[in-house]
Amino acid sequence: MQNVRARPSVGAQFRRILQDPILAVALVGSVIFVGLTIILPLLAMIGESVSTEGAVKFRDYLGSPVYQTIISNTLVMGVVVGAVGTLVGFLFAFVQVKLDVPFKRFMHVMALLPVISPPFAVATATIVLFGRSGMISRGIFGVRYDIYGLDGLTLALALSLFTVAYLNLKGMMEALDPALDEASANLGAGKLRTFFRVTLPMLIPGIASSFLLIFVESIADLGNPLVLGGNYEVLATRIYVSVIGLYDTTAAAVLSVILLVPSLTVFMVQRYWVSRASVVSVTGKPAGRPDTIKFAPVRWGLFGVVMFLCLLILLIYGTIFHGAFVNVPGVRNDFTLSHFDFVLNGIGAEAIQDTTLLSIVATPLAGLIGMVVAFLVVRKEFLGRQALDFGVMLGIAVPGTIIGIGYVLSFNGPITATLPILGEITLIPKLTGGQGLLGGALAIIIVYVIRSTPAALRTGAAALSQIDPAIEEASISLGADNARTFRRITLPLIRPAFLAGLIFAFARSMTTISAVVFLTTPQTKIMTQGILNEVENGRYGNAFAYCVILIGIVMVAIGIMYALVGSRTGAERRIEGGGQ
Amino acid sequence: MSNARLILRNLVKVFPARGGGGVLRAVDDVSLEIASGEFVTLLGPSGCGKTTTLRLIAGFELPSGGEILLDGGNVTNLPPNKRDMALVFQNYALFPHMSVADNVAYGLQTRGLPKAEIRRKVSDMLTSIGLHGLEERRPNQLSGGQQQRVALARCLVMEPRILLFDEPLSNLDAKLRVQMRAEIHGLQRRLGITSVYVTHDQIEAMALSDRIIVMNAGRIEQVGTPQEIYHLPRTRFVADFIGRANFLPATLLESSGETADVDILGQRMNVANSFQHGRGAALTAMIRPETIDLADDPSLPQVTVTQAMYLGSETEYVVNFGDHQLVVVDTSPRIGRFYAEGRQVGMALDPSSVHLLGAEA
Repeated sequence: MQNVRARPSVGAQFRRILQDPILAVALVGSVIFVGLTIILPLLAMIGESVSTEGAVKFRDYLGSPVYQTIISNTLVMGVVVGAVGTLVGFLFAFVQVKLDVPFKRFMHVMALLPVISPPFAVATATIVLFGRSGMISRGIFGVRYDIYGLDGLTLALALSLFTVAYLNLKGMMEALDPALDEASANLGAGKLRTFFRVTLPMLIPGIASSFLLIFVESIADLGNPLVLGGNYEVLATRIYVSVIGLYDTTAAAVLSVILLVPSLTVFMVQRYWVSRASVVSVTGKPAGRPDTIKFAPVRWGLFGVVMFLCLLILLIYGTIFHGAFVNVPGVRNDFTLSHFDFVLNGIGAEAIQDTTLLSIVATPLAGLIGMVVAFLVVRKEFLGRQALDFGVMLGIAVPGTIIGIGYVLSFNGPITATLPILGEITLIPKLTGGQGLLGGALAIIIVYVIRSTPAALRTGAAALSQIDPAIEEASISLGADNARTFRRITLPLIRPAFLAGLIFAFARSMTTISAVVFLTTPQTKIMTQGILNEVENGRYGNAFAYCVILIGIVMVAIGIMYALVGSRTGAERRIEGGGQ
Repeated sequence: MSNARLILRNLVKVFPARGGGGVLRAVDDVSLEIASGEFVTLLGPSGCGKTTTLRLIAGFELPSGGEILLDGGNVTNLPPNKRDMALVFQNYALFPHMSVADNVAYGLQTRGLPKAEIRRKVSDMLTSIGLHGLEERRPNQLSGGQQQRVALARCLVMEPRILLFDEPLSNLDAKLRVQMRAEIHGLQRRLGITSVYVTHDQIEAMALSDRIIVMNAGRIEQVGTPQEIYHLPRTRFVADFIGRANFLPATLLESSGETADVDILGQRMNVANSFQHGRGAALTAMIRPETIDLADDPSLPQVTVTQAMYLGSETEYVVNFGDHQLVVVDTSPRIGRFYAEGRQVGMALDPSSVHLLGAEA
């Protein structure tokens, strides 16, 4: 029997945290980190948008039909991609959990593939396959299909972003207690009725949360609309053009605030859904194996649909690899290594080195900060606990372009303070641009970290909440302090989550474009920026070669991280299996 | 200055109440002295404050008021890792990523003992607790009873000034629970470690304890030896929580010194009395079911059996006497002695087993 453990009082816990110097440093450090790297740039961006000049632009934009179309384009794209992406994720998860069909492992890998794909890769391959001179549209069907616009965006974005829905829903479906299905069947309901009356309602929070996540990600996406948008302009591309083409950061800030409204609203709604979902998904330990669906039309029909999607994904990635080795992808398909020559021996080499180095620096930082913040928000009670969690999550909730503009506005010059005796001192030196600290590299590292920390935080928090706090209390009761407990007990126990956080952080850093596109400098070049240049100039072969190298680096890094942090022990399997 | 090892002085712990602005006084003015080597149990129903009291002693919670003294030193605000106490957790809380030996060595390593000494102490401890040969196993490769032993060994090896137990046997099956209970009893008596034990299981409490602290709604209801708590409960709550009890109205007829004549169900009987009430005072008589005898004797007051359950080693009856319903337990059923439901049977109360409570208690 378990006594109801009442919530410890916030004040007492706070005093206790401050008693432990290392814990206090972790807490204060986290708060400063969030404040300086996320809140400050956001406030700078918002401040710029409400300046006198900004206020005028606000009125102009909201009243202008052109901008109204851009805003509605953005929202329509978010809804369509959210719906299609969630449906695809649902189908993949359903087939994985509920059907007994071959090639499930293959389908799983296909569903995870988009995580490590660079921006522009899918979009460019889509053009090569289905565009006006597409290998399939023109080559096989003989049509000059105009893929640019909402249809192409939906295809590319849904296939790039559905992974989150897949993982989310797969986890929920596996957690559903088969006894519920059995109870429904036992009460006389057929499979179809059970699905619509029992299974689906329990999955609705997961479905809603997946939809909202994909919505947020798709309206924030820059790479796909830049390549595939055509005349279908969205806020993210408009912001990009305002900065890169028109050098008008005020306009960009105003548009950013407009984009921030749906992003943050939906993000907060999603958080609410997730908190609701946790109530539904915890139905106790599943007893027995879920019954698979035997009805042939459903079984093979769904199998066919998902298999088709897998082949489509495979085709797109095949196109990337193929395109990297042929002269003009889809047009002159003779073998060449000239693209690799261009990338490896030209300006690309520097970008590859810089991007990899910066990602290597950012990855452990993001992983560690994520775990420390997860520890603080899951295990400790203190004033502003929710705010700290939310602050870190803003790093991903806020569209990358907006983060980038915030950084340009905040850190384009040194931040100074005038003190009574010391006079003017520099609190933070200039970070962005060519004259920025480390040639602007520090700003890019920080952006990599804040974009990756949220995922590490979530996986860490999920893993921590599976671990009985008594295990950590036992360590403290045996004389260990908080730091030793975190190092010897907590961190080893959440190692799988830590590894997942590291892998994600590295993949994310290597493939990110929107947040750093304004921060690259002549001294610090970024691969995704290089890809964009090639795509914009129509040199798809070079772009594909970049992508192949980038995917290769990410795969090698994942292998190395597994070797360093990995090796699943019995204890970890036990933890993952929901051990005590 | 008393020679008590652990002193709780007016401990209060207030939690903000769920879903409202109010507060919950989980521990409400608890004072207690525990002697060196004593085994004390905090006993009470869910939410009575016993676990919170234990967590205050361990240092996992900070009191809202009051103080905790260990060997005369104030440890009220000391972090848990500085208190020299070890806690055996309800679900053992073994470190799943460490072997049995590493689990037991963990606390000693934290103290920075030399490796050889740690090895020797761990080996001695595992041998003495019957885990020799399991050193390299992981916790998930152990049975529930073995896990329990590791949890115990991990604490004992520290030779703490106080050993704390948080319902350590509640996850074991019934047979193992009885076995581990006996083992903990033996170990504690042998090692003489001062122990504070939390449980909601009255049998466990009585089997293990030198003294039992019965708690209710954050307060101490009664402190006493198991015999005092069982036979001489001070309140109806204690009587009801420890074992089962019949409560009957008793009217004081005449009191003289330590005994009194009372009227219970129309019978006059002379029972022990500590109350100073005058003639005619309304009291409550507490009578344990196993002290009541049933017999086919027409000279006894007759009762009607309304429920009869044969349980092997005992038979449990519910009988009606007028408006009153009583539980009667025949603790040594003989072959052929069974009073079926609906039967009339004579009932004999034993005056020496009647315990008087105040009427309002």
